[in-house]
Amino acid sequence: MTFIRTLAGRALQIAVVAFFVTAGTSILVRIVPGDPARTILGDKASPEALLALREELGLEVPLHEQVALSLAKLLQGDLGTSFAHRGQEVMSLIGPSLGVTASLAAVAIAFSLVGGVTVGMWLALVRRPESDLMGRLVITLLLALPSFMAGLILLYALSLRLGLAPAGGWAGSWPANAQYIWLPALALAMYLGSLIARTVRQAALDTIGQSFVQAARTRGVPRVRIVFTHILPNAVLPVIPLVGFNAGVLVGGAVTVEAIFALPGLGAQLLQAMSTRDLPVVQGIALITALAIVVFNLLADVLNIAADPRLRRSH
Amino acid sequence: MAVVVAEVPGSVSVRARARSHPLELRIGIGLISAVVLACLLIPMVNSTDPNALVGLPLQPPSAEHLFGTDSLGRDVFIRVFHAGRVDIALAALGVIVPLVGGTVIGTVIGASRSRIVDAVAMRVTDGVIAFPFVVLTLVIVLVLGTDIQIPPLPAGSPAILAAVWLVNWTIYARLARARTHVLRQEDFIAATRLLGFSQIRIVARHLLPSVWPTTATYAVADALLLISLIAAMPFLGAGIQPPTPEWGSIMYDGRGVLAQAWWISLTTAGVVLVLGVGVMMVVDSLVSAPRRARLL
Repeated sequence: MTFIRTLAGRALQIAVVAFFVTAGTSILVRIVPGDPARTILGDKASPEALLALREELGLEVPLHEQVALSLAKLLQGDLGTSFAHRGQEVMSLIGPSLGVTASLAAVAIAFSLVGGVTVGMWLALVRRPESDLMGRLVITLLLALPSFMAGLILLYALSLRLGLAPAGGWAGSWPANAQYIWLPALALAMYLGSLIARTVRQAALDTIGQSFVQAARTRGVPRVRIVFTHILPNAVLPVIPLVGFNAGVLVGGAVTVEAIFALPGLGAQLLQAMSTRDLPVVQGIALITALAIVVFNLLADVLNIAADPRLRRSH
Repeated sequence: MAVVVAEVPGSVSVRARARSHPLELRIGIGLISAVVLACLLIPMVNSTDPNALVGLPLQPPSAEHLFGTDSLGRDVFIRVFHAGRVDIALAALGVIVPLVGGTVIGTVIGASRSRIVDAVAMRVTDGVIAFPFVVLTLVIVLVLGTDIQIPPLPAGSPAILAAVWLVNWTIYARLARARTHVLRQEDFIAATRLLGFSQIRIVARHLLPSVWPTTATYAVADALLLISLIAAMPFLGAGIQPPTPEWGSIMYDGRGVLAQAWWISLTTAGVVLVLGVGVMMVVDSLVSAPRRARLL
């Protein structure tokens, strides 16, 4: 029951997002100066050629028809064709840069999970005041550090000073990309990782205080076992919705970190598409990122229900 | 490794946390004031033009130029604190409008007993919130361009403000609505309804005064988010246009010469970070303070 309701809620969200993005970008591009047809054909184009191209691009029909048409195409999984690169499918244009941004986000999430859970558990178990204070200070510092600034600092320290990684760029193929991706991913993981560490620490402390842990201790269960079978699962549980909730922040951060490390991701492509007034590509990127986040949240919901039996029993 | 597994529930940590809050709040306010005052006073005390060429390019920090000089030979120290005025003022402008607008809209939605109003408003805000904030504002900023001039705002800022105002009220509306729903259960709001007060009077006189502390607390955190957004914009080909000194554009200029002249980007990042840590500390203490008050 919970599962079906969650699924239905997210499906509705996807529909709303698709509508807003399509309508929003169409309106925006219409109200601002700059004719896509003129951008494509140049200043010397004849009025007839411009009109013909505007018709072909679907800019001559009323706004509501344009939006309806885009939505209908979207239902068939068609994002349309690019204005600037004539005849190219938007999806095939976006694909490679989407791959860059997605792998950056994925590696960053992996780093955050491993680092955040380890540090959080450590802070909860080693209850020395000085390590606790240090931990809290570092976490506050990292939470206050915007991802792109973390990127600048890491780029300077680890890449330019110590030479541990290239100062930016992209190989274009795996596993050669690995040497380019780990530093930006680390920069991106600073924020999410400290958020996870803080949450895990608090959840672990709450669990330690509960009677079933004390009962296990009284029964003489070994400490290592208590930590790994009783405390850890409960401490990790709130991380799932936390990561889901921060998906948007992560994508936004990824776009800025990419710019620091000159990765050919969605940010660079969005910029290029905007400068050529390539409406379908802008629409496509906006739509893909928004949908990715909704789907990511859906995934987090499902994982959460799968991981926590208490959520299933409530109905 | 001293593993303490069993402990009396929360005894030490709760008290330790309660004690540390006023201190955390004070340090936070101290850090914020330090940066804000520096941005106000340093340009007043030292009348060097932030765009003046004061020395050789790319000079490392020295007694004369505390943060060194940039690739044109401008004093980074002077520029950073001039830039602070721009960034902090824009962040304040960018926060206040959505704070006021979103709080009022959210409270009205929360107070309304129409299920349709509520459902429509929630789907709209859902749609906006589902979006990656940076991507959404970037699209709006790029579409609006940097040509719009509204003096005395620096070139490039009207688009950023418009984008932030367009997007950010939704979060405040969500917070205000949720808070209003809690308040509606309280006796004093039920009493206003029994007394036959008008909906406007209930919202304005009874709900808003209790709703706004919640949204204002979020606004503090939001201001920091906004500063990092404004500062990130130059890296994405948008943002405040040169030569106006702005934290993001200084760091962006420094990115190109990071290997030779770390001080341009990293001293600026340091100042922004001091402000950020101050904001985080204030937010942390504000967020947990009401929870403590309710327990007592």
